[in-house]
Amino acid sequence: MDDASAGLLDKAPCGFISFGDDSRIAYINATLLTRLGFTGEELSGRHVETILGDGSRIFYQTHFFPLVKLHGRAQEVFLLLRAKSGEDVGMLCNAVRHERDGSTFTDCALMEVQERRKFEEALLDARHQLQEQAIELELQSEALQTANDDLQTLNEDLKKERLAADEANQAKSNFLAVMSHELRTPLNAIGGYVQLIEMEVHGPVTEAQRGALARIDRSQRHLLRLINDVLNLARIEAGRVDYLVESVPLQEVIGSVLPMVEPQIASKDLRYESAIPSELRAKADREKVQQILLNLLTNAIKFTSQGGSLCVEAGEHSDSLVFLRVTDTGLGIPPDMLDKVFEPFIQVDASRSRATEGTGLGLAISRDLARGMGGDLVADSTLGEGSTFQLNLPRA
Amino acid sequence: MTHGVLKRNNVKVLGKGTQPMLFAHGFGCDQNMWRFITKEFEDDYRIILFDYVGSGQSDLAAYDAGRYSTLKGYAGDLLDIVRELDLRDIVFVGHSVSSMIGVLAANEEPDRFERLILIGPSPRYINEGTYVGGFERKDIEGLFEMMDRNFIGWANFLAPAIMKNSDQPELGEELTASFCSTDPVIARRFAEATFLADNREDLAGVTIPSLILQCSDDMVAPEAVGEYLKDQLANSTLKVMKATGHCPHMSHPEETVALIKEYLSSDTTA
Repeated sequence: MDDASAGLLDKAPCGFISFGDDSRIAYINATLLTRLGFTGEELSGRHVETILGDGSRIFYQTHFFPLVKLHGRAQEVFLLLRAKSGEDVGMLCNAVRHERDGSTFTDCALMEVQERRKFEEALLDARHQLQEQAIELELQSEALQTANDDLQTLNEDLKKERLAADEANQAKSNFLAVMSHELRTPLNAIGGYVQLIEMEVHGPVTEAQRGALARIDRSQRHLLRLINDVLNLARIEAGRVDYLVESVPLQEVIGSVLPMVEPQIASKDLRYESAIPSELRAKADREKVQQILLNLLTNAIKFTSQGGSLCVEAGEHSDSLVFLRVTDTGLGIPPDMLDKVFEPFIQVDASRSRATEGTGLGLAISRDLARGMGGDLVADSTLGEGSTFQLNLPRA
Repeated sequence: MTHGVLKRNNVKVLGKGTQPMLFAHGFGCDQNMWRFITKEFEDDYRIILFDYVGSGQSDLAAYDAGRYSTLKGYAGDLLDIVRELDLRDIVFVGHSVSSMIGVLAANEEPDRFERLILIGPSPRYINEGTYVGGFERKDIEGLFEMMDRNFIGWANFLAPAIMKNSDQPELGEELTASFCSTDPVIARRFAEATFLADNREDLAGVTIPSLILQCSDDMVAPEAVGEYLKDQLANSTLKVMKATGHCPHMSHPEETVALIKEYLSSDTTA
């Protein structure tokens, strides 16, 4: 480089440096020397890495040098130069390879970037923050996914447990059905032979014996009813009950059941009222509705004292349901027992069950039947004032 | 993925010889970096050149962040090519990080490799205890900053918008082609896999004879690292070059070729 060119370059408003393929500095202009705080003697012949920051040195070797060597030039490469004081100076570099005096040189023009660098740093920081947030979100998403997977596993476990419980319940019901059948056979034999003895088929019967036979007969019938109820409940729970669903006029149903309980109503001197719209129909199995109503009426009579009253009403419960309600002025049910009365073998209290005959299965069977027809059976009561049992059924 | 490998890694096969000479480029570059020395071997060897996924003209769609998060993934690229071409008696030439990638591959399938030529190798760039790698962690972070500035910054802020603009596709291409690495995000991950790696324990497993080409005044792989490798690699030869810098095959191709040829003609069975 001649002196005149070098003089011009020394005054140029940008840094200029030239180095050979061995990276040794051949020329560096005064502008760059001043900015970096070196003298020409300090850098002449030194490796160009001398004026590069730590990160820039690796970048120079892995990116800048191969780029210039392969493409003959580089444009707008950002490098951190290292001043003598240790200060890092951000510069943009344009470079080109030249053949000069039989050797190859890389000439670089360097422009300091101060303000731009701040903006770039702010942008890069913002991007890093976004990346971190994205990673955080991804982690959260993964955690949610895991939680969801756990829930699904739990749900499947619950389904399995429920299936197992259903199977166990089914097995229990099957067992009860079989046992009830096995018990009924000898009981029927007991009843039959009692009747034969009463008919004096086996010889004359004394009054004392007749009294004993009557007690055997009562006990046999009680036991048989109990077993029949157990069998019915087991059948319902085992899903072995068929429903013959039809449009059932409720007034007719009540008309067919009432004669069965009239003798008890009369014997307890109960007042009976009813209010049933004649056109009201339920979509249900007629016999099952009769069975439920008979159970509700029998209970009401059983738990209502002499001179009390009974009321049977029916009406529209909602757009899709009709109701049939039996209200008594009996003993009533304590609030904590209201739900339990529908459980098998539950009676409100043991002392009362002795006074009132029953198996404790009637309401359980009735509610199962109601639900089997797409309806329900619910209870309401005030202790000491009476109870209301309401059968809801799909409207016809 | 049979045909896929050759396309995926932009594999180029040239030369008149039969023994394969497999050249693996370093971080920040692609197979073009070998063009100053390969012609010297074309008469006697079958030259195989390739780009790692994420570099040069490789198939970017094949990039898998998990696979390439460590050097093992890159060794996988190497082995995929070796198996696809069924290469045997390989003379492996690796630059910089590819030296260690070659070591990992050779440990996996030692029977396929005959010699390892390692140019500017380093099993660990960061100083640790008495081990001198040449760098502190902050230096490596400085490199990441340079990369961020020079292409991640550009590409992430500008390139996505430009590249989606089909009117000016050349702008996006120009941005990313300004350095040899095709994709800036991948390059950044490759940098992390390279400079944060520690392959010192893999050296003991190497059974293949090796040549360590150590540059004078190489700040990326200083002489202490070359000495360390000589001690750790069984049957290794260390040559300290007159060449300075980190890329002697580009800056001093004649000396590089001469040393490789000298080594290939020597007997390494001792």
